[in-house]
Amino acid sequence: MEPMSEVDRNIAEAPLPTKGTLRRRKSLGYQVTRFVAFNFRMMKMVTRAHH
Amino acid sequence: MARIVILGAGISGHTAALHLQRQLKNKHEIVVVSPNSNWNWIPSNIWVGVGKMAKSQVTFPLAPIYQRKHIVFRQAKAVAIHPEGDINESQGFVDIVYTDPTRVSEEERLAYDYLIVATGPKLNFAATPGLGPEGNSWSVCTANHAEQSSAALEKIIEALKAGERKTLVIGVGHGTCTCEGAAFEYTFNVEHELRERGVRELADVVYLSNEYDLGDLGVGGMIFAQNGFETSSKLWTESLFRERGVRAILRAHVEKVDPGVIHYEDLDGAHHTLDFDFAMLLPPFRGVEMKAYAKNGDDITDALFAPNGFLRVDADYATKPYEEWAPEDWPKTYQCPRYDNVFGVGIAFAPPHAISEPRKSPNGTVISPAPPRTGMPSGVMGRTVALSIVDRIHRGGEAKLRTASMADMGAACIASAGTGLRRGSAAAITMFPIIPDRRRFPGTGRDLTQTSGEIGLSGHWTKLLLHYLFIYKAKARFGWFLIPE
Repeated sequence: MEPMSEVDRNIAEAPLPTKGTLRRRKSLGYQVTRFVAFNFRMMKMVTRAHH
Repeated sequence: MARIVILGAGISGHTAALHLQRQLKNKHEIVVVSPNSNWNWIPSNIWVGVGKMAKSQVTFPLAPIYQRKHIVFRQAKAVAIHPEGDINESQGFVDIVYTDPTRVSEEERLAYDYLIVATGPKLNFAATPGLGPEGNSWSVCTANHAEQSSAALEKIIEALKAGERKTLVIGVGHGTCTCEGAAFEYTFNVEHELRERGVRELADVVYLSNEYDLGDLGVGGMIFAQNGFETSSKLWTESLFRERGVRAILRAHVEKVDPGVIHYEDLDGAHHTLDFDFAMLLPPFRGVEMKAYAKNGDDITDALFAPNGFLRVDADYATKPYEEWAPEDWPKTYQCPRYDNVFGVGIAFAPPHAISEPRKSPNGTVISPAPPRTGMPSGVMGRTVALSIVDRIHRGGEAKLRTASMADMGAACIASAGTGLRRGSAAAITMFPIIPDRRRFPGTGRDLTQTSGEIGLSGHWTKLLLHYLFIYKAKARFGWFLIPE
């Protein structure tokens, strides 16, 4: 068996999202708030780029 | 009356054309030259590539839009620029060759007062033998390519359903490629589709890239502030790869694509092969093939264009080591230094250098991403140059040019990781500035309050919203200009 590459090892050791995180990523209520927050942040950035 | 000629009708060129028309009304002539009859919202091609959108949903014909906006449209490709005119003509002009089916191969000379080069990239499949839809791999760079990829993917899914084991390789097909973000998106959209179709267990999904680390994305990676910690895009991306069971091969330069076998070199200089049943590998980019001539007919192509074929603008092209790269190297006005009425925007301008740290294998092979120029900065550049030209037309040649440096501009990048209004997800990233500035932002190179990343369903909604908004804007429908670039 070939030894694990550095990239494979990094992926294998990366943190996995908890069940709670995975649930929040799909939760309609929570995601609506994230949608608003992200779009607000993006609009701020865009407005800045135009001035 | 001034004539402004725009070469290219992609995000940058089309944005410039619409803003010029809006500002100049019909008092000046705007001419758009593009070899393609359709406009394509390229970020959604990945959804065409997994069969979730039809080609007609990401493209529309340009001619009716330009007719309605009184913009002259030539379906043609530019083959030469004569910025000084010639012995008979004192005004600058471009030579074009029609691709319009009703006038194919017909030539025309188009004089201009201002020229915007927004030709986008040439998809350089030829850089890697066997790469591309005419070789042994697929692409999602154009809507047609994405449609072909979707059909090929469907065959693989049918084989998986029949119980066969398959390897799907998605990534970039050369050591100097850019657009790793698109390869990332397609990888996770394919993985999502395999899960949705109940065949994920039998599929090995491999991401093959020239990035040194996951999450580099051609911008040297990012640092995010999350839950009280500074987290790297590397760790964040590795986590997604672990969660979704996707294998990654990094620091790779694809040398050749044979039927079913990819040959690649790694940064250690070792050569490897990778067997595949389905491969979508993006090509490297170079500038479109265009010549430039001085008044006396001398070939000045090398003076106007960088060796990679992109137009030289007001960037600092002096060769310098990575440690000395500075935000000031990047162009601000996109004006050609030799000719003040020529501008280069979007992918067509020559970047001064990469953003990611450059690396070579012991064999001298360059294996590091070229700098990406995504939709948002391309649109901003197009608009900025259009407004600079408007200022010069209204106030004369001394009017100060407007600026839009990528070193002082942020970007939002929504990397889809699967479709579906309830089951989709995307990595939603913002960064400021695009070009890291380690003097202004020591340690991270970017403003932590404006550089962020999160994964979730809302990212998919945002990407879908942008799809509809930007197609609405590109169609120049009522109030289009209220939608920012």
